[in-house]
Amino acid sequence: MNETTPIDPEKIEPVKSIGVPMPLVDGPEKVSGKANYTADFLEHGALVGRILRSPVAHAEILSIDTSAAETLPGVEAVATGADFVGQFGVLPIARTEWPIARDRVRYRGEPIAAVAAIDVETAQKALDLIEFEYVELPAYFTAEDAIAEGVTPLHEKRPNNVERHVDYDLGEVDKGFEEAELVCEGTYDCAEVCQVQTEPHAAMAAYDGERDRLTVHASTQVPYYVHLMLEQTLGMPKSRIRVIKPHIGGGFGSRTECLHVELIASALARKCNGTVRIILSREETFVTHRGRPEQNTTLKMGMSKDGRITAVDTTTTQRGGAYAGYGTVTILYSGSMVFALYDIQNARYNGYRVLTNTPPCGAFRGHGTVNVRFAFESLMDEMATKLGLDPFEVRRKNLLKAPTFTANDLMVNSYGLPECLDIVEKASGWKDRKGKLAPFRGLGIACSHYVSGASKPVNWTGEPHATVNIKLDFDGSLTILTGAPEIGQGSSTILTQCVAEVLGLDVTRIRILTSDSLVTPKDNGAYSSRVTYMVGNAAIDAATNLKAILVEAAARKMDVQPEDVECLGEVYRAGSQDQGLTFEEVVVAALEGTGTITARGNFDTIPESWGGDKYRGAAIGGSMAFSYAAQVVEIEIDPDTADIRVEKVWVAHDCGKALNPLAVEGQIEGSVWMGMGQAMTEETRYHKGLGITGNMLDYRVPTIIESPPIETHIVESIDPHGPFGAKEAGEASLAGFLPALTNAIADALDIRVSELPITPDRLMEIMEEKKKAARKNADQKVSA
Amino acid sequence: MKNFISMTLNGRQRDDAVPGNMLLVDFLRETVGMTGTKIGCDGGECGCCTVLIAGKPRHACLTLAASCDGTDIETIESLETGGRLSAIQRGFHEKLGAQCGFCTPGMVMAAEGLLRENANPSEDEIRQGMAANICRCTGYVKIIESVQAAAEEIASKESAA
Amino acid sequence: MELMPDFVLHRPTSIEEAVKLRNETDGALYVAGGTDMIVNVRRGIEQPAALIDLSVVSELREIVEDDEGLHIGAGVTLETVSQDTRVLKHFTAVAEAAAAVAGPTHQAYGTVGGNLCLDTRCLFYNQSEWWRKSNDYCLKKNGTVCHVAPGGKHCFAAFSGDVAPAALVHNAEVDLVGPNGRRRVPLADIYHNDGMDHLAFEPGELLAVLHLPKSEASMPSAYEKARVRGSIDFPLAGAAVWVKQSGDKIEELRIALTAVNPYPHLIKGLEKFSGTELNDGALDEIAEMVQSQAKPMLTTTVKPWYRRRVIGAIARRLTKQLSNTT
Ligand SMILES: Cc1cc2nc3c(=O)[nH]c(=O)nc-3n(C[C@H](O)[C@H](O)[C@H](O)COP(=O)(O)OP(=O)(O)OC[C@H]3O[C@@H](n4cnc5c(N)ncnc54)[C@H](O)[C@@H]3O)c2cc1C
Ligand code: SF4
Ligand code: FES
Ligand code: FES
Repeated sequence: MNETTPIDPEKIEPVKSIGVPMPLVDGPEKVSGKANYTADFLEHGALVGRILRSPVAHAEILSIDTSAAETLPGVEAVATGADFVGQFGVLPIARTEWPIARDRVRYRGEPIAAVAAIDVETAQKALDLIEFEYVELPAYFTAEDAIAEGVTPLHEKRPNNVERHVDYDLGEVDKGFEEAELVCEGTYDCAEVCQVQTEPHAAMAAYDGERDRLTVHASTQVPYYVHLMLEQTLGMPKSRIRVIKPHIGGGFGSRTECLHVELIASALARKCNGTVRIILSREETFVTHRGRPEQNTTLKMGMSKDGRITAVDTTTTQRGGAYAGYGTVTILYSGSMVFALYDIQNARYNGYRVLTNTPPCGAFRGHGTVNVRFAFESLMDEMATKLGLDPFEVRRKNLLKAPTFTANDLMVNSYGLPECLDIVEKASGWKDRKGKLAPFRGLGIACSHYVSGASKPVNWTGEPHATVNIKLDFDGSLTILTGAPEIGQGSSTILTQCVAEVLGLDVTRIRILTSDSLVTPKDNGAYSSRVTYMVGNAAIDAATNLKAILVEAAARKMDVQPEDVECLGEVYRAGSQDQGLTFEEVVVAALEGTGTITARGNFDTIPESWGGDKYRGAAIGGSMAFSYAAQVVEIEIDPDTADIRVEKVWVAHDCGKALNPLAVEGQIEGSVWMGMGQAMTEETRYHKGLGITGNMLDYRVPTIIESPPIETHIVESIDPHGPFGAKEAGEASLAGFLPALTNAIADALDIRVSELPITPDRLMEIMEEKKKAARKNADQKVSA
Repeated sequence: MKNFISMTLNGRQRDDAVPGNMLLVDFLRETVGMTGTKIGCDGGECGCCTVLIAGKPRHACLTLAASCDGTDIETIESLETGGRLSAIQRGFHEKLGAQCGFCTPGMVMAAEGLLRENANPSEDEIRQGMAANICRCTGYVKIIESVQAAAEEIASKESAA
Repeated sequence: MELMPDFVLHRPTSIEEAVKLRNETDGALYVAGGTDMIVNVRRGIEQPAALIDLSVVSELREIVEDDEGLHIGAGVTLETVSQDTRVLKHFTAVAEAAAAVAGPTHQAYGTVGGNLCLDTRCLFYNQSEWWRKSNDYCLKKNGTVCHVAPGGKHCFAAFSGDVAPAALVHNAEVDLVGPNGRRRVPLADIYHNDGMDHLAFEPGELLAVLHLPKSEASMPSAYEKARVRGSIDFPLAGAAVWVKQSGDKIEELRIALTAVNPYPHLIKGLEKFSGTELNDGALDEIAEMVQSQAKPMLTTTVKPWYRRRVIGAIARRLTKQLSNTT
């Protein structure tokens, strides 16, 4: 504010930030090429790190001879599994992975050695000199093979190659089926998919031998896990490690776990007392994987005449890959979320997470929920058709009534699904158009939901869920210090808006510094859509605390009671006639005697949200709030080529409160579209465990050509505990696309697709089978 | 063996000696130090490395630096004028055409190439023109809106001038 | 920094110089736009000691029109071809094929010559050095088995260029320049049915010009490809169709395929349709002929069954579209 401009108290009012569509606070850097991602730090003298990867899927390591590599001029360090003191893994109960394999390799592409050299050519030459001797073991590339009788276990502790079996039996399932008008069962297969964030994984580690300190730049969604795993695997005290998360080119869950690349770069840096940069190729990024597992689901559902679901029984198996990773959580999520979208009291579940000799799966956007949602919404739709019920009506029949707890004790305080349904039904013209479209056209609907952060963090430490600091200094500048990783989802913008709103200031007054463990408070990271909800609340708390300090100072200065001070953002005054104090004057008053102020805010979940204990692992799924979405997909099929064209998607998403409607739209569009990729074109495939789709031609992320227009509607159910009522916005809309598409195919062709992605070859095969069956039928009729 | 090359890079003439096997993207990022141009794939599949050569979009990851002798190259770093975003950059910023921003330099350069040839593209022409660039965040909805907004801004500036 | 094999780059300015360099330098290969060659070099599929960059050979970048027809230099970009009004009008399939290659950026600098001389493709071949080594390589490069047809000694990698079939149905010819001079041959003659060695070039020959003969022009032609995504993807199967009709009778019909054989394939036996009406029966028969001559193998993630199926459907549909009777 210009000091010479006299303040007109009549015109001063707090600036609104919440609910205002605004561009990202870090947008200018991104559009100008100035944003630095991990690979963009060109440290002078940095060495090139490169990783040697296993050519075999399962083998006992006899020896890894690095002596020739070590003596190659230009090689500064060679690392093997022996350079680490511990294993890593995201779950404290399942740290089974060495940063570089020791004793055994379990998938093709697993790191077996690494070098740091003066340039990439030397590094590669050194890798070529490393001799790897091994004895092959039987390898399993499907879940079925891995759990067969008499298999060789991948891990000693898992003799049957089952990483985790989860089961529950809630209510009276068998009775539910008995009471049903119709009981149906279906089997649904989803191929493995990969996040394919545009930025390949990268890490840069610098080791200061004099001080025994390590600084790591990593392309991660959770710098905190990287920090913990560096301690764990290198045996270095946490206090000597600094982790920095620069700009991140997307994650979608692929970087929720700490990855090899960060650990290997660090080990090499420490070994050579230098700086080592490792930038993975796209192929290596595919091999690192941590995507969504191949999953086979058998679902049995009972439905009453009027469409009430009387019972659900789910059996599902995930091909998890060679290490535990998030596996246990993924299989638990599938169980806790499969029915909890609706009011269903009788549910049974058997989930199997299987270890196989393929790259480890992880947490992919919509973690654990997507493939079972596909099964559920498909079968529900099919049964509705069989009972002659409208798919919307069936869904309406099964809605929850908030506030409530689901049968597995998930706390639901806000539930905008009814409005979502109403909106997409109207927007898509469902009532007038459904069933009346031209041949080869179809409409399909499906619903989905997701958590707003897991109520129990993976690493339980007793600290609050989220902590945000705001620094206020002599210059009147406000800096938010947060460990919450901005990974492209817009969290920095949302946090800035939260703080701006509380203080009534324009967002441009506030700066934000994220994820540098040297200065920002620890944060649990960007996963399971926790940042807006949890860190948003912590930011509000911090800003509220800061505001109290400012009001107090203003009161002192104006010689009134704090209750009498009105905060108008740029002006604090007592009584409407008062000229008041400018924000700068208040800051001066506030700093008197105390100096620079750091206000802290925290957030904690409430025990009611912890998910109960009806079965082992029931806490997974527990969340402070759930987001809900409904979408209608319209398609046209080319009968000659079996190409499916998505004409349009109408989606409504209940995000509680759209803190930034522009960003919320962006998140919803991105989710729907990513669901489309999984449903239609994307699939990782293996040839004897060797990833055969490890590039962006054979792994088909949709291009702009076939990507449909998406009409987004925001529903605001105002969650009682959410920051300004907000909930999750970036995941729930993904899962709905898959069944909405296959339901649309059923509408167009009267064919139920149960295997995804539904690529043209798969669809044509099903269309042919149908034609053949019809012909056979006709023949039989003729002969009869 | 090195090749001597002379090029105009973002309006400035420069001379370099580069190995024959050096990719333009590595030359830009590691030799010149301009890291705005990104690498998202192992060659030609994602469009993150798109730059303009003689005004036409091209993959810097499939182009040899030594083959750029005598050419005029423009990268994302060239677009701002007077410290302010260009119309296309502003479009991507304000319409949220950039989420994580990693595809953005390539997208913006592809859009730059497109709008120079066709100042007023239809939605379909935008799709066709940007079809070599993959974005994993936006679903492209807001990328199309960004390019449309930029085209409008350019048109309104021109009619004002 | 990306790992690149060591090679030198030569930048000749004339065809003669290029051919000379190519033939006098050990391990030299041509590169035009580089949209295929550089990918293969980066993957270690090609390990040239030298690359002969054709991008500054100005005579390769010309399109000449004369009484005989249109003569397109090998260095002309796909974008130029797809937008050239003469190509669009008289050789529609060629323009459509050029516009269907990869994505717009590839078309802006990828060339006609590079497209015609494109290496064949296979899932087991278009992979990194580490990948191919871990898979014991294959017949086409460094190995002793074919992973597609493990018993055999044949490579089934598919020729996947879009432009060749379109040029073939226009009876195109090409100029090849080698150390012994220039020769002009039908385009069909430069291909072999061998995924390992599909180009019937004399050592070191350079493709200089694509001739599209005028007598063939103005007859309707079209090209369409099947692919999973709307852009970037190579064809899973592609067909070009050209028909000459009098009234509602076919005088002559030509169909050529890509991506379903190790070479672009001109459908044989279509003479039998001369003088017949293009009714549904004939169209079905055409589709069947196309399907039976297409020999896709498991060289892509998409099933060969489908590629065969869809190539018949596409050929049928294009023929029907072009015919007067509809
Ligand atoms: C992601 C991606 C997608 C693609 N999709 C498609 C697609 O859908 N359809 C398609 O057809 N292609 C596709 N391509 C391949 C390629 O872009 C095109 O085929 C292009 O036309 C090749 O031309 P170029 O000038 O870049 O060839 P280059 O890469 O320069 O050369 C290709 C080959 O031709 C040889 N060659 C080039 N010019 C001559 C000449 N004058 N004489 C003799 N030999 C010569 C080279 O030595 C090399 O072996 C794709 C490529 C990528 C990276
Ligand atoms: S067809 Fe066989 S020999 Fe040919 S590239 Fe493929 S695997 Fe190799
Ligand atoms: S980096 Fe992907 S196309 Fe160049
Ligand atoms: S904005 Fe993230 S890839 Fe496009």
